[in-house]
Amino acid sequence: MHVTETEEMDIITETTCFHCHEACPDEIVHYDEKEFCCHGCKQVYQLLADNSLDEYYVCDVNPGKAPSAQNFEFLNNSHFQAQLISFSSQGVAKVNFHLPAIHCRSCLYLLENLQKLHAGIVKTTLNFGKKDLTVWFQEDEINLGQLATLLASLGYEPLISTDEMQAEKRKQLSQQTQLFIKLGIAGFCAGNAMLFSFPEYLGIEDGSLKHLFGYLNIALGSLAVFYSGSDYFKNVWAHIKLRKMTIELPILLGILVGYGRSVYEVFSHTGAGYMDSVSGLIFFLLIGKWFQQKSFDFLSFERNYKAYFPLVISKLEHGVEANYPLDELKIGDHLIIRNQELIPADAILISGISQMDYSFVTGESEPISIASGNSIYAGGRHTGERIEIEIKKELKQSHLTQLWEQQAFKDPLHKTENWENFANQVGWYFTVGLISVAIIVGIFWLINDPTRWSNAVVSVLVIACPCALAISYPFALGHGIRWLAKRNLFVKDIQAFERMAQVDTLVFDKTGTLTLPSTQKPVEHLRRELSTLEWEALRSLAVQSTHPMSRQFVNYANKQGQLASLALSHFVEKTGKGLEGMVSGIEFRIGNARYTGHQTPKDNDFIRSESQLYLQINGIAVGYIEFPWAYRDGIECMIHHLQGHYRVFLLSGDKKEHAVSLLDWFPDPSTYQFDCSPMDKMRFIQSLQDKGHKVAMVGDGLNDAGALRQAQVGIAISDDHLHFTPASDAILKGSQIAQLPHYLAFARFGLKLIKFSFMLSLVYNGIGLSYAIQGNLSPLIAAILMPVNSISMLLIANLGMNWKGSRLKS
Amino acid sequence: MEIMYVMIALSLLMAIGFLMAFVWSIKSGQQEDLITPGMRILTEEIDYPKLNKPL
Repeated sequence: MHVTETEEMDIITETTCFHCHEACPDEIVHYDEKEFCCHGCKQVYQLLADNSLDEYYVCDVNPGKAPSAQNFEFLNNSHFQAQLISFSSQGVAKVNFHLPAIHCRSCLYLLENLQKLHAGIVKTTLNFGKKDLTVWFQEDEINLGQLATLLASLGYEPLISTDEMQAEKRKQLSQQTQLFIKLGIAGFCAGNAMLFSFPEYLGIEDGSLKHLFGYLNIALGSLAVFYSGSDYFKNVWAHIKLRKMTIELPILLGILVGYGRSVYEVFSHTGAGYMDSVSGLIFFLLIGKWFQQKSFDFLSFERNYKAYFPLVISKLEHGVEANYPLDELKIGDHLIIRNQELIPADAILISGISQMDYSFVTGESEPISIASGNSIYAGGRHTGERIEIEIKKELKQSHLTQLWEQQAFKDPLHKTENWENFANQVGWYFTVGLISVAIIVGIFWLINDPTRWSNAVVSVLVIACPCALAISYPFALGHGIRWLAKRNLFVKDIQAFERMAQVDTLVFDKTGTLTLPSTQKPVEHLRRELSTLEWEALRSLAVQSTHPMSRQFVNYANKQGQLASLALSHFVEKTGKGLEGMVSGIEFRIGNARYTGHQTPKDNDFIRSESQLYLQINGIAVGYIEFPWAYRDGIECMIHHLQGHYRVFLLSGDKKEHAVSLLDWFPDPSTYQFDCSPMDKMRFIQSLQDKGHKVAMVGDGLNDAGALRQAQVGIAISDDHLHFTPASDAILKGSQIAQLPHYLAFARFGLKLIKFSFMLSLVYNGIGLSYAIQGNLSPLIAAILMPVNSISMLLIANLGMNWKGSRLKS
Repeated sequence: MEIMYVMIALSLLMAIGFLMAFVWSIKSGQQEDLITPGMRILTEEIDYPKLNKPL
């Protein structure tokens, strides 16, 4: 084989951290003959090794997560103590933490051996599915803050949620428990009622036993109808009050008529009734309800602005800093904001200079420099030295939080308001049709043979009950949700899945949704070649700063193989401008154009695409390196594919010139809009909806929260932090976005399958009705037809969705 | 056929017993976490001697 020159060149192997398995970006920390990406990871390893917990690394591949330096001292505030500690007695307290970082067997091993790391920890229990850790600890040995800080330092930073979210979770859990018990009881009733109906099926005639069985069946049927089926009564009643007819009405009608008829037959000794069919139907319906209730415990679809803000604020009172819960924020408070912290409410900068990053709120990617005396807005992320701010508006009245005061957020039903749910649409026709048939049949028999009319009417109402739809619906859509979850699209509930099938318009956010900051291929625009020494000097300078641009530069230099660190002197970081420092008597500067002596490319035809880092060596401008935003894989193909089937729009908070290359894919100027505020995005969606379109919004940050909420389907894109997304109907992992067309097609398939099985069930109902109309429906035929109908619905939904789901590309 | 009455009573009692056991298992939270116990077996406690003083 011919070996070319390039293949013989040194390949720089990337070192990965022994603990977190991330590529080591800057300096590599050596310890115990192992490499670590940072001191934090090393410390975790050291701690585990010292306490003989290093089996952690053997249990599973790639267990570690980079530790967080977050300090949770604020949890010792009485407000949080009361909220988090669920039980406390004789100095031992029990607390429940949600740890989103839990991901493998090693996590379980470490977290359930926590008592080895601290004597104050008595016992820990992990719920892997929910990513919840319950800790019993001795309050005099370790406090809540220290406990949370310890978890964070191991790489498992607890996510402290607000009161409302916890209450919501508890409510969900109790509903689930209720449903399980109802399901169990319905199954019990159905099984036993069938057993007691056996003599009837076989035609065994034994008077006294027959009556006993009848009475037992009534007892079982009553339990099934009035306890297990109680939700149907509640729902139908609620809908009747709203003057709405849903599919549940004919179902309840069928159940009640069947039940009443059975009671009458048993007490009048005229027959055995249909109690087995009635309780069996309730059992099937509840299985469906259980199946559709797929909940993703580790995700949160409901999230308001509070979830984004810090839980505590540090207030300055008489020159002393004190921590308070966010709720106690008042106008006129002076707050201390540190590097990388969020601004909780609109305020004025009192002292310090800030590089405010509003990307979270507006989608605008470049930070804005703000001097003291100027206004700053809630949701901005402060970069730079410690600043002091004075609060000017209450939490709820801030520029950002006003979004949550909009109609879309207040009205929980707005998504379903103008939406035709197939089941309910059909339910209306079905009910009207069914009742007319029953009346016609009743009148016919009253005229021709008055002894048979009641039997015929009852049979019609029982046999034609649209249980097929009520069964195929939850199963088909429930399977849909499960298959999509396997492909990393987490849909909130089956209603959201159905809405996905009906969407005809797609709106994409740009920053963070179509583009991705981390896979950049930087472009050099240098006026001359830089020497190795110069590269090393610039890299040594950039290492000193935590500014995102500096980090990018360091990464870039590492990839060039420039790994050496040089001694640096006279280092100065000028916030909002850049860095400077001396290496072996030569001055190096990196930063913005003006700071490094470049001509600012302002007001000319030079189109700036995203962000550049300018370099200056010894007072001479040498050019810049451009770090463009990269598009996610397969985006172009996806957009083209979607444009064939849907109306596709692009919204961005950025300036137009930041996305020139994207515009090739959006040839029609009416299909994109730039410079959008969060409110603009929401209004854009609304205007599409006013034209009768069903819109799906695909976005990420808080700046899309309004649009996600307004759209029929809001799909939030998330990269690694699946736990940190705005309120939405579905959460999609960023790497899967190119598969979106297939997922939407899958949703449409699900709905088609339901329509097909509905047609089939109409055929079954037709057969049943032909007997029922004649007043000849024997309990045996009912007992065969109804389960056969239900089971074939189950089979179609299961087989169909599993067949299609398994063909989805991951 | 009188024996049938006894057998029906017994069978119902047994079935009710199982039903109660099911309700109890739900209410006591046994079905809440079906993943972790299975994983826990694989990382069974090995009692290492405690080397260092904790944090």
